[in-house]
Amino acid sequence: MWLEINNLHKKFGAEPVLGDLSFRLAERQMLSILGRSGCGKTTLLKIIAGLETPDAGVIKIAGKVINNVSAHRRNIVYIYQEPLLFPHLNVFENVAFGLRLRKIQNPTIESKVLEMLEALELNEQARKMPHQLSGGQRQRVAFGRALIISPQMLLLDEPFGALDTETRAVMQVLLKKIMQTHPITAIFVTHDLKEAIIMGDAIGMMEKGKLDIYPDKKTFIEHNEHVKNEINFWQNL
Amino acid sequence: MHVIAKYSYLTLFILLAGVPLLAGLGYALLYSLGLTGVLNEGFTIVHWYKSLINRSLWQSLGFSFYIAFITMSIAIGLALWAVVRQGEAFRSGYLSFLIYLPLTLPATVIGFYSFQLLAKSGLLSRLGFQAGLLNDLADFPVLVNDSWGVGIIFTHICMATPFLIILFTNLYHNENLKSFAALAQTLGARAPQVIWRVIIPVLLQKSFATLVLYFVFVMSSYEIPLLLGSQSRQMISVFTIEKLQRFNLQDIPQAYAISVLYGMLLIILVIKLLGRNK
Amino acid sequence: MSKYLFKIILSIIILLPFAVLAVLSLGRNWAFPAVLPAVFTFDNWRVLLLAQSDLSQSLALSLFISIVIATAVTIASFFTSKFISFSPWRRRWLLIAYFPYMFAPVILAACLQYYFLRLGWAGSAGGVMLAQLFIAYPFGVIIFTGFWNERLHNMEQLVATLGGNAWQTYTRVLLPVAKGALLICFFQTFLISWFEYGLTRLIGVGKIQTLTLKVFQYVNEANVFYAALASILLAVPPIVLLWLNKRYVFVNFN
Repeated sequence: MWLEINNLHKKFGAEPVLGDLSFRLAERQMLSILGRSGCGKTTLLKIIAGLETPDAGVIKIAGKVINNVSAHRRNIVYIYQEPLLFPHLNVFENVAFGLRLRKIQNPTIESKVLEMLEALELNEQARKMPHQLSGGQRQRVAFGRALIISPQMLLLDEPFGALDTETRAVMQVLLKKIMQTHPITAIFVTHDLKEAIIMGDAIGMMEKGKLDIYPDKKTFIEHNEHVKNEINFWQNL
Repeated sequence: MHVIAKYSYLTLFILLAGVPLLAGLGYALLYSLGLTGVLNEGFTIVHWYKSLINRSLWQSLGFSFYIAFITMSIAIGLALWAVVRQGEAFRSGYLSFLIYLPLTLPATVIGFYSFQLLAKSGLLSRLGFQAGLLNDLADFPVLVNDSWGVGIIFTHICMATPFLIILFTNLYHNENLKSFAALAQTLGARAPQVIWRVIIPVLLQKSFATLVLYFVFVMSSYEIPLLLGSQSRQMISVFTIEKLQRFNLQDIPQAYAISVLYGMLLIILVIKLLGRNK
Repeated sequence: MSKYLFKIILSIIILLPFAVLAVLSLGRNWAFPAVLPAVFTFDNWRVLLLAQSDLSQSLALSLFISIVIATAVTIASFFTSKFISFSPWRRRWLLIAYFPYMFAPVILAACLQYYFLRLGWAGSAGGVMLAQLFIAYPFGVIIFTGFWNERLHNMEQLVATLGGNAWQTYTRVLLPVAKGALLICFFQTFLISWFEYGLTRLIGVGKIQTLTLKVFQYVNEANVFYAALASILLAVPPIVLLWLNKRYVFVNFN
């Protein structure tokens, strides 16, 4: 498997957050992780991104241990619930940010960014500042800024959590479409059951620092009481 | 690299913020106990005893408290009145810039200005004379270097009021008081009730820590009472420094005892204050 | 009271001190009961043009001290407050910052004067600057603690995952985002140093004559016209900084 996580442990003070967590993920697959707040999802993502260090455990990508590689060399982008656009840069420069860090030539940046803005339906907004955008537009800029550097992996921490239901549905479709054209290995964390089913190729349930993975939607539904109750509710209406 | 930077900055902070205060208070404590300084007579609590039974110390503390209390009461009243009545004027337009202007004048300059305005031969007195209200210099009331601290209070009010207007205006906006006022109205509050039961309590509660800090700032002030105070009633900073600079050597350890006492009072106040607010 | 009248009266009250000081700085011979000085002249101001004059030397010295203090404090407290804000002992660190800020500077100076005399630092510009750092630096740290919040911490981590190293994180994101806070800190700490009287007098032992001390000296000498002139000079740099702040800080964050 492409991503291998083996026996991850993490404590904050005396509080265990991750306890002996292991899982695998194939390349170009999207894993949805469902869990309540405080179940350790964010800590898991931050450890994979290199923003937190695990107390024990090994993280391998394509067979190589990456535990000691620092965050800015991992080429794994972490996307927050808040878009966190840079307030001093306009939309174009926000998307171009990662390319500027890599000292890419101006004409290349220009064409790549315009192409990305096109794909995200943001071409009209290129010169706007972040505070002039709607919530959905801001999150699209955040995606563009992440995808443009072709990361080897994308970590999405409740990326649509702050959006209204309608925008959320539009964004889910858009992200799904982009993932089909630029397939990237990704982990998508959410506490919304429907979203987890829509987005993930595989689905995981996280509880009290443990993660159970179901290889496909069918097994997930079969093994999950909560999902069954939900389906029954709609069928019995 | 990051860790080295972190510890160097924190060390710098301790060296420049923590150590001087401790060193200063430590020296003052040793001096007041007779363990160092010109007298260096060996351990004694006589200076502490003398300071604590000295009436003028308590008068000076009381006078400082009185000045701060009157100043803050009047300045808070004026600022609340201005913000409640004319709040919008400070958010846009020329007043939103002008209201900052008084903050560009140091205490020394505002004190000097008050003196030129309020002294017996000052501007007000001259205007009164020209208007035929006064016939003689002696008719003008004593407003500076007076024993009630009128000049000191006036000067502090000049400094505090614009500062408080800016503070309350920002709070009014940040705490979204307009919506709260509208909400209170839908619950049946009349206009004065909205002001007295919603706007003013919220403004005072949210600014409590800053108001206490400003109170202490007025109590500790030095330049203004030095310029506009009287010999008979001195504020605590003037009282302490004057005692330190007297020729009588016995006064110096007492002045240091007062410094330590004052420092301790402030330390207790900070801990109480920061303990209260997050 | 009508809004219009309120604005007019308040503007007059605010501008009056500046007008009085300006008139006095141009005056000579102001005998009671005249409302205005008998003679108006630029003679007082001409003193400034003489490089050797006390006043122009004080002005230069004050500018030097305050600019150095404000620059050093802004840089140091920007980083210091970052480490303090994200420290688990944040509250305890902040207590240390609040003490010198609340303690009367003149009493602090009286307690520290002994050390400065023993070390031979009293009466020198360096000694005065060091002493001013003791009160300006904690204040700078307090100013920045509101700036370093969780959101900014996340933004910093985001830059790392996008491939930015520490240098790029500061130069391309943190410093530009902090522009407003940096200006405010510079402004405030400049003012602390620029206005400081008691501590500067005690540590400078009369040898370091900043402009604020000069005003006091003229007042004590009953030299009203020079005192007014020095007062105006004292107000100019803060007004310039205020204008810069209004122009560059408030506009960007609306």
